[in-house]
Amino acid sequence: MAVNYEKLVSDLVKPLVVHPDDVEVKKLSEDDKLVTVQVLVHQDDLGRVIGKNGRIANAIRTIAYASASREHKKITINIDAF
Amino acid sequence: MKTLNFEAKSIEEAMEHAERTFRINREYITLTTDEKKSMFGLKKHYEVTATVDVDLEALGLKVLKTMFENMGIENVKISHETPEKNEFNFIIESDENPVLIGKNGKTLENIQFYLRNLLNIFTDERVIVFVDIGGYKAHRKKQLEILATKTAKEVAQTKVAVKLDPMNAYERRIIHTKLADWRDVDTKSAGEKQDRHIVIKPKK
Repeated sequence: MAVNYEKLVSDLVKPLVVHPDDVEVKKLSEDDKLVTVQVLVHQDDLGRVIGKNGRIANAIRTIAYASASREHKKITINIDAF
Repeated sequence: MKTLNFEAKSIEEAMEHAERTFRINREYITLTTDEKKSMFGLKKHYEVTATVDVDLEALGLKVLKTMFENMGIENVKISHETPEKNEFNFIIESDENPVLIGKNGKTLENIQFYLRNLLNIFTDERVIVFVDIGGYKAHRKKQLEILATKTAKEVAQTKVAVKLDPMNAYERRIIHTKLADWRDVDTKSAGEKQDRHIVIKPKK
Protein backbone atom coordinates (compact mmCIF):
# COMPACT_ATOMS: atom_id res chain seq x y z
CA MET A 1 0.00 0.00 0.00
CA ALA A 2 1.37 3.37 -0.97
CA VAL A 3 2.06 5.71 1.88
CA ASN A 4 0.17 8.98 1.99
CA TYR A 5 3.08 11.30 2.77
CA GLU A 6 0.95 14.42 2.97
CA LYS A 7 -1.15 12.87 5.70
CA LEU A 8 1.87 11.51 7.55
CA VAL A 9 3.57 14.91 7.61
CA SER A 10 0.40 16.85 8.28
CA ASP A 11 -0.49 14.65 11.26
CA LEU A 12 2.98 15.29 12.67
CA VAL A 13 2.88 19.04 12.16
CA LYS A 14 -0.67 19.83 13.26
CA PRO A 15 -0.40 18.87 16.94
CA LEU A 16 2.62 21.20 17.27
CA VAL A 17 1.02 24.38 16.04
CA VAL A 18 -1.31 27.06 17.38
CA HIS A 19 -3.14 27.33 14.07
CA PRO A 20 -3.76 23.82 12.73
CA ASP A 21 -6.29 25.15 10.23
CA ASP A 22 -3.50 27.10 8.55
CA VAL A 23 -1.34 24.05 7.94
CA GLU A 24 -1.12 23.14 4.31
CA VAL A 25 0.78 20.11 3.11
CA LYS A 26 1.16 19.53 -0.60
CA LYS A 27 2.98 16.87 -2.53
CA LEU A 28 4.96 18.69 -5.19
CA SER A 29 6.20 15.62 -6.97
CA GLU A 30 6.57 11.89 -6.65
CA ASP A 31 8.31 9.39 -8.85
CA ASP A 32 9.74 5.98 -8.08
CA LYS A 33 12.79 7.51 -6.36
CA LEU A 34 11.93 10.83 -4.81
CA VAL A 35 8.97 12.43 -3.08
CA THR A 36 8.89 16.18 -2.49
CA VAL A 37 6.51 17.55 0.07
CA GLN A 38 5.84 21.21 0.77
CA VAL A 39 4.65 22.28 4.21
CA LEU A 40 3.18 25.74 4.74
CA VAL A 41 2.33 26.93 8.23
CA HIS A 42 1.16 30.13 9.86
CA GLN A 43 3.96 32.68 10.30
CA ASP A 44 3.73 32.46 14.11
CA ASP A 45 4.06 28.68 14.02
CA LEU A 46 7.17 28.45 11.90
CA GLY A 47 9.50 28.41 14.90
CA ARG A 48 7.53 25.61 16.50
CA VAL A 49 7.77 23.39 13.47
CA ILE A 50 11.44 24.09 12.80
CA GLY A 51 12.62 24.10 16.41
CA LYS A 52 15.94 25.11 17.91
CA ASN A 53 18.67 24.44 15.35
CA GLY A 54 16.01 22.91 13.11
CA ARG A 55 15.81 19.86 15.29
CA ILE A 56 12.06 19.40 15.16
CA ALA A 57 12.07 19.83 11.39
CA ASN A 58 14.82 17.25 11.27
CA ALA A 59 12.87 14.88 13.48
CA ILE A 60 9.89 15.16 11.14
CA ARG A 61 12.19 14.61 8.16
CA THR A 62 13.79 11.55 9.74
CA ILE A 63 10.42 9.97 10.47
CA ALA A 64 9.21 10.65 6.93
CA TYR A 65 12.53 9.37 5.59
CA ALA A 66 12.12 6.08 7.47
CA SER A 67 8.66 5.71 6.03
CA ALA A 68 9.87 6.43 2.50
CA SER A 69 12.78 4.02 2.83
CA ARG A 70 10.28 1.16 3.10
CA GLU A 71 9.26 1.96 -0.46
CA HIS A 72 12.91 2.47 -1.46
CA LYS A 73 12.28 6.15 -1.94
CA LYS A 74 13.77 9.34 -0.62
CA ILE A 75 11.77 12.25 0.60
CA THR A 76 12.50 15.94 0.91
CA ILE A 77 10.33 18.21 2.99
CA ASN A 78 10.33 21.96 2.52
CA ILE A 79 8.93 23.95 5.40
CA ASP A 80 7.90 27.57 5.03
CA ALA A 81 5.39 30.10 6.27
CA PHE A 82 2.61 31.73 4.27
CA MET B 1 -0.73 22.22 33.40
CA LYS B 2 -0.68 25.93 32.61
CA THR B 3 -2.87 28.61 34.17
CA LEU B 4 -3.38 32.29 33.49
CA ASN B 5 -5.53 34.94 35.21
CA PHE B 6 -6.59 38.11 33.44
CA GLU B 7 -9.48 40.45 32.63
CA ALA B 8 -11.26 40.66 29.30
CA LYS B 9 -14.17 42.50 27.76
CA SER B 10 -15.65 39.50 26.02
CA ILE B 11 -15.31 35.73 26.00
CA GLU B 12 -13.94 35.78 22.47
CA GLU B 13 -11.32 38.34 23.45
CA ALA B 14 -10.43 36.18 26.45
CA MET B 15 -9.98 33.11 24.27
CA GLU B 16 -7.82 35.00 21.81
CA HIS B 17 -5.68 36.35 24.60
CA ALA B 18 -5.24 32.91 26.18
CA GLU B 19 -4.42 31.33 22.83
CA ARG B 20 -1.81 34.00 22.09
CA THR B 21 -0.22 33.90 25.53
CA PHE B 22 -0.09 30.12 25.87
CA ARG B 23 0.66 29.66 22.20
CA ILE B 24 -1.64 26.68 22.27
CA ASN B 25 -4.66 25.97 20.11
CA ARG B 26 -7.99 26.82 21.78
CA GLU B 27 -9.12 23.22 21.52
CA TYR B 28 -6.91 22.53 24.54
CA ILE B 29 -7.82 25.63 26.57
CA THR B 30 -10.56 25.79 29.20
CA LEU B 31 -11.91 29.16 30.34
CA THR B 32 -13.59 29.87 33.65
CA THR B 33 -15.20 33.30 33.60
CA ASP B 34 -16.73 35.52 36.20
CA GLU B 35 -18.83 38.42 34.92
CA LYS B 36 -18.29 41.75 36.72
CA LYS B 37 -20.48 44.82 36.23
CA SER B 38 -19.38 48.37 36.87
CA MET B 39 -21.21 50.55 39.38
CA PHE B 40 -24.21 51.48 37.24
CA GLY B 41 -24.26 48.24 35.34
CA LEU B 42 -23.21 50.03 32.19
CA LYS B 43 -19.97 48.34 31.49
CA LYS B 44 -19.12 44.76 32.12
CA HIS B 45 -15.96 42.77 32.01
CA TYR B 46 -14.90 39.26 32.80
CA GLU B 47 -12.39 37.92 35.24
CA VAL B 48 -10.95 34.97 33.44
CA THR B 49 -8.96 31.94 34.47
CA ALA B 50 -7.59 30.05 31.51
CA THR B 51 -6.14 26.59 31.97
CA VAL B 52 -4.46 24.08 29.74
CA ASP B 53 -4.87 20.63 31.14
CA VAL B 54 -4.06 17.96 28.61
CA ASP B 55 -3.80 14.24 29.26
CA LEU B 56 -0.25 14.01 27.94
CA GLU B 57 -0.09 10.24 28.01
CA ALA B 58 -3.26 9.93 25.93
CA LEU B 59 -2.04 12.59 23.51
CA GLY B 60 1.33 10.87 23.13
CA LEU B 61 -0.32 7.54 22.46
CA LYS B 62 -2.69 9.05 19.90
CA VAL B 63 0.10 10.80 18.02
CA LEU B 64 2.28 7.66 17.95
CA LYS B 65 -0.60 5.45 16.80
CA THR B 66 -1.53 7.87 14.02
CA MET B 67 2.10 8.10 12.94
CA PHE B 68 2.56 4.32 12.63
CA GLU B 69 -0.79 3.96 10.92
CA ASN B 70 0.17 6.60 8.37
CA MET B 71 3.49 4.84 7.79
CA GLY B 72 1.61 1.62 7.09
CA ILE B 73 3.39 -0.30 9.85
CA GLU B 74 1.33 -3.23 11.03
CA ASN B 75 0.75 -5.02 14.33
CA VAL B 76 1.94 -2.11 16.40
CA LYS B 77 1.68 -2.58 20.14
CA ILE B 78 2.40 0.35 22.41
CA SER B 79 2.62 -0.22 26.12
CA HIS B 80 2.97 2.81 28.31
CA GLU B 81 3.70 3.63 31.87
CA THR B 82 4.13 6.71 34.04
CA PRO B 83 6.76 5.83 36.65
CA GLU B 84 6.54 9.33 38.06
CA LYS B 85 4.49 12.43 37.44
CA ASN B 86 5.41 13.95 34.08
CA GLU B 87 7.49 10.95 33.17
CA PHE B 88 6.17 8.92 30.26
CA ASN B 89 7.54 5.68 28.88
CA PHE B 90 6.29 4.32 25.58
CA ILE B 91 7.46 0.84 24.69
CA ILE B 92 6.75 -0.10 21.11
CA GLU B 93 6.64 -3.46 19.33
CA SER B 94 5.79 -3.85 15.67
CA ASP B 95 6.28 -5.97 12.56
CA GLU B 96 8.94 -3.56 11.34
CA ASN B 97 11.03 -2.55 14.32
CA PRO B 98 14.22 -1.97 12.27
CA VAL B 99 12.47 0.68 10.15
CA LEU B 100 11.34 2.50 13.26
CA ILE B 101 14.72 2.24 14.98
CA GLY B 102 16.78 3.35 11.99
CA LYS B 103 20.52 3.35 11.53
CA ASN B 104 22.22 3.53 14.95
CA GLY B 105 18.83 4.23 16.49
CA LYS B 106 18.53 7.54 14.67
CA THR B 107 14.85 7.27 13.82
CA LEU B 108 14.04 6.13 17.34
CA GLU B 109 15.93 9.12 18.78
CA ASN B 110 13.99 11.46 16.53
CA ILE B 111 10.63 9.92 17.39
CA GLN B 112 11.44 10.43 21.06
CA PHE B 113 12.67 13.98 20.47
CA TYR B 114 9.57 14.90 18.51
CA LEU B 115 7.27 13.46 21.17
CA ARG B 116 9.10 15.13 24.05
CA ASN B 117 8.87 18.50 22.32
CA LEU B 118 5.22 18.00 21.55
CA LEU B 119 4.25 17.09 25.11
CA ASN B 120 6.34 19.91 26.56
CA ILE B 121 4.26 22.47 24.71
CA PHE B 122 1.24 21.75 26.89
CA THR B 123 2.77 22.18 30.33
CA ASP B 124 5.09 24.46 32.28
CA GLU B 125 6.56 21.53 34.14
CA ARG B 126 9.37 19.51 32.66
CA VAL B 127 8.21 16.38 30.90
CA ILE B 128 10.44 13.37 30.46
CA VAL B 129 9.65 11.10 27.54
CA PHE B 130 11.28 7.75 26.96
CA VAL B 131 10.60 5.72 23.85
CA ASP B 132 11.98 2.26 23.17
CA ILE B 133 11.31 0.03 20.19
CA GLY B 134 11.76 -3.73 20.20
CA GLY B 135 14.04 -3.55 23.23
CA TYR B 136 16.66 -1.62 21.25
CA LYS B 137 17.68 0.72 24.03
CA ALA B 138 17.69 -2.01 26.67
CA HIS B 139 19.96 -4.10 24.46
CA ARG B 140 22.17 -1.14 23.56
CA LYS B 141 22.57 -0.31 27.24
CA LYS B 142 23.88 -3.80 27.95
CA GLN B 143 26.32 -3.55 25.04
CA LEU B 144 27.59 -0.16 26.17
CA GLU B 145 28.11 -1.39 29.70
CA ILE B 146 30.13 -4.32 28.42
CA LEU B 147 32.16 -1.95 26.24
CA ALA B 148 32.68 0.40 29.19
CA THR B 149 33.90 -2.34 31.52
CA LYS B 150 36.16 -3.87 28.90
CA THR B 151 37.75 -0.56 27.93
CA ALA B 152 38.11 0.55 31.54
CA LYS B 153 40.01 -2.63 32.41
CA GLU B 154 42.33 -1.97 29.50
CA VAL B 155 42.90 1.64 30.56
CA ALA B 156 43.53 0.64 34.17
CA GLN B 157 46.13 -1.83 33.02
CA THR B 158 47.95 0.15 30.33
CA LYS B 159 47.52 3.61 31.92
CA VAL B 160 46.76 4.96 28.44
CA ALA B 161 43.60 6.99 27.82
CA VAL B 162 41.15 5.54 25.29
CA LYS B 163 38.75 7.52 23.13
CA LEU B 164 35.38 5.91 22.37
CA ASP B 165 33.22 6.47 19.28
CA PRO B 166 30.95 9.52 19.25
CA MET B 167 27.67 8.92 21.10
CA ASN B 168 24.59 10.86 22.05
CA ALA B 169 24.00 12.20 25.55
CA TYR B 170 21.93 9.23 26.66
CA GLU B 171 24.58 6.72 25.60
CA ARG B 172 27.41 8.72 27.14
CA ARG B 173 25.47 8.88 30.37
CA ILE B 174 25.21 5.08 30.49
CA ILE B 175 29.00 4.85 30.32
CA HIS B 176 29.65 7.66 32.82
CA THR B 177 27.25 6.02 35.26
CA LYS B 178 28.69 2.56 34.75
CA LEU B 179 32.24 3.73 35.46
CA ALA B 180 31.44 6.33 38.12
CA ASP B 181 32.60 4.23 41.06
CA TRP B 182 35.73 2.82 39.47
CA ARG B 183 38.87 3.61 41.43
CA ASP B 184 41.44 3.53 38.62
CA VAL B 185 39.64 5.29 35.74
CA ASP B 186 37.94 8.60 35.06
CA THR B 187 35.46 9.40 32.28
CA LYS B 188 35.25 12.72 30.47
CA SER B 189 33.26 13.89 27.49
CA ALA B 190 35.12 15.78 24.78
CA GLY B 191 34.41 17.17 21.32
CA GLU B 192 31.45 19.13 20.07
CA LYS B 193 28.02 18.24 18.72
CA GLN B 194 28.16 15.22 16.40
CA ASP B 195 31.70 14.45 17.50
CA ARG B 196 30.99 14.48 21.26
CA HIS B 197 32.57 11.35 22.67
CA ILE B 198 33.86 9.82 25.88
CA VAL B 199 37.48 9.55 26.83
CA ILE B 200 38.32 6.99 29.50
CA LYS B 201 41.44 8.13 31.35
CA PRO B 202 43.58 6.45 33.98
CA LYS B 203 43.24 8.08 37.41
CA LYS B 204 46.49 9.43 38.80
